[in-house]
Amino acid sequence: MSALAAVELRQMGPSNLGIIWNDKHNSIYSVRNLRLECKCANCVDEWTRAKILKPESVPADVKPVLIESVGRYALQIQWSDGHNTGIYPFDALRALCECPTCKKA
Amino acid sequence: MSHGHSHAKGPTGPQKISLPRIRNVIAVASGKGGVGKSTVTINLGMSLAKTGAKVGILDADIYGPSLPMMMGINQRPEAKGERVVPPQKDGVKLMSMGFLVEEKQAVVWRGPMVHGALTQFLNQVEWGDLDYLLIDMPPGTGDAQLTISQNAPLTGAIIVTTPQEISLLDARRGLMMFQNVKVPVLGVVENMAGFVCSHCNGVTKIFRQGGGSRIASEMNIPLLASIPLDPAVAEGGDKGLPIVIGNKDSEVSKIYTQLAKDVIAQAAIYEGGFRPLRLEWK
Repeated sequence: MSALAAVELRQMGPSNLGIIWNDKHNSIYSVRNLRLECKCANCVDEWTRAKILKPESVPADVKPVLIESVGRYALQIQWSDGHNTGIYPFDALRALCECPTCKKA
Repeated sequence: MSHGHSHAKGPTGPQKISLPRIRNVIAVASGKGGVGKSTVTINLGMSLAKTGAKVGILDADIYGPSLPMMMGINQRPEAKGERVVPPQKDGVKLMSMGFLVEEKQAVVWRGPMVHGALTQFLNQVEWGDLDYLLIDMPPGTGDAQLTISQNAPLTGAIIVTTPQEISLLDARRGLMMFQNVKVPVLGVVENMAGFVCSHCNGVTKIFRQGGGSRIASEMNIPLLASIPLDPAVAEGGDKGLPIVIGNKDSEVSKIYTQLAKDVIAQAAIYEGGFRPLRLEWK
């Protein structure tokens, strides 16, 4: 009945984010990858879905400043490069999981 | 709030709506207008209050706020420093944009203004401790609906519809909006399900029947109530005397009493299920 949701956020060292989900799965993300996967209208064309964001424009050491819930369905990340318009819905975020099990699948 | 950017104004992005002293925040929504959503909200709110619960209603229809008149509240909210204290009637606190704009004045706003006004509005009202805050949503699936469903800590939503197919079509859209943002839909209320004759109290089905139960079973959510149209309801609304107060023993009032119990039970399933996350990176 209950939809997929993040229940805990953890900083794992300087450049990895851990998310614990309500289905007990533990996800790990490289924070720079998350920045590059931003789907906001500044980073992805709203009509064609083509990527506008140029990876080389993102600092190599980009880090979150603050990560917060958006309602019940997503996270919003404020980045050290000043970017803050991206919303990461839980389903999309889970699909980006970089844990060994998810990467294999 | 200083993390070294000249343009950073502290935690920016959409302003969060935080309502820590409210146990359940429930949106009352409909896909289209004219289905009696405000009437359902008020009568449900007062029926919840009769069970002993502390209840507030937020009239989020910023373009056409009608709740102050329907509840018969004339006094304006009091300012307490930066906070606004909502007036109260029959055990229910009410906050409405209607208090802030003149009755004959139109609110003409673009989307971003709607978002800002609603967020500020939600954050500045001094509700005190509440068991239930009902948010009377404007009809449709536009800016105001998105702002609330994305940013308010909703326990769940109730969808109000009439039995006709066209209303159901819009109700489905409303349902899908809540599903997209993972807000649990507590159930459907079918309003204007038949007409109560003021002479014989018999119920005539004036619209197609069973629409509410059809959408409920289709979307796998409960049909919470099927409420007939009683002329006393509309009259009560115009006089500022909701039917559950003005005509307690009517059939419609009994349905609202049961609806309140069912909403309490449904909300209990999801209460506390929402815990906002926050992580400051070190």
